[in-house]
Amino acid sequence: MSNNHTTTEENKRPHRIEGPKKHVIAFVFSLVLTMIAFAAVMGGEINKDFIYIILIGTAILQVFVQMAFWMHMKDRGHQYAIIGILAGVVVAFTCVIMAQYWVWW
Amino acid sequence: MSAHTHVEGQLPHEPEKATLEGRNKILGFWLFLGGETVLFGTLFSVYLALRGQVLDGPTPNELFSLPLTALATLILLTSSLTSVFAIHAMHKLDNKALIKWLIITVVLGIAFLVLEIYEFSHYLHLGHGFTTSAFSSAFYTLVGFHGAHVALGIVWISLIIRQLMKQGLNTVNAPKVYVAGMYWHFIDVVWVFIFTVVYLMGKVV
Repeated sequence: MSNNHTTTEENKRPHRIEGPKKHVIAFVFSLVLTMIAFAAVMGGEINKDFIYIILIGTAILQVFVQMAFWMHMKDRGHQYAIIGILAGVVVAFTCVIMAQYWVWW
Repeated sequence: MSAHTHVEGQLPHEPEKATLEGRNKILGFWLFLGGETVLFGTLFSVYLALRGQVLDGPTPNELFSLPLTALATLILLTSSLTSVFAIHAMHKLDNKALIKWLIITVVLGIAFLVLEIYEFSHYLHLGHGFTTSAFSSAFYTLVGFHGAHVALGIVWISLIIRQLMKQGLNTVNAPKVYVAGMYWHFIDVVWVFIFTVVYLMGKVV
């Protein structure tokens, strides 16, 4: 199951099947980022702003990893998909900024 | 039996993109996910604005238990991995493995949902109802909406499994499998922000 690039039939195909190995690496990477985030909070006694930066940083990094590998966004032919999701992200981000800085101003 | 006839090479390598309908479905689903991002963006912004307004109710720090959140995160992350294995099995035109991985994904999704229901009922006992405070309303709306998405995903993927068992893999249901997989990853991506913004940030005092 793991070595699926060996058969000649698959080598002739226009683009090869991705092995599950890459997905397992993305999984481990996500797991490590999650553990860093939890450890930062459970560890305590660190500067509050620093914890926030670690949390936001690991979350954004993890989303990039998952979208690129698991949602196939790094594959070709995803330009319109990227535009679609990015338009949503821009609106969502604007909402969050608005709530953070304007509501209790 | 139908699984065998497809292995003989009737289906193209990426059956979900073999038809124009399939390709359009995938593109349309990306646009839908853009809209879902806006939905959750607004819910997150409400939560961020109101998370300090606890009134007489419990604060996030008193309420949340990180081991429970860690377990829920692990379950959902693993289910995302099994759903990507399902898509991988589909690309190898292996219907049996595809069904197997989808079933594992659904079971993990149910486990996550059970954990969330337990969590909510536990909070209710602690006097944290939907109308307790602005924080509690924002919390239940945001996390509840995510839970509802998980519930919908479980029903949806279960129906797809039934179709795959009856018809085998073909160019009509392959885009459905692919798009359901994308939906499941999206749920996982939203959860990454929920455990970060709601649970972990709630614990940082």
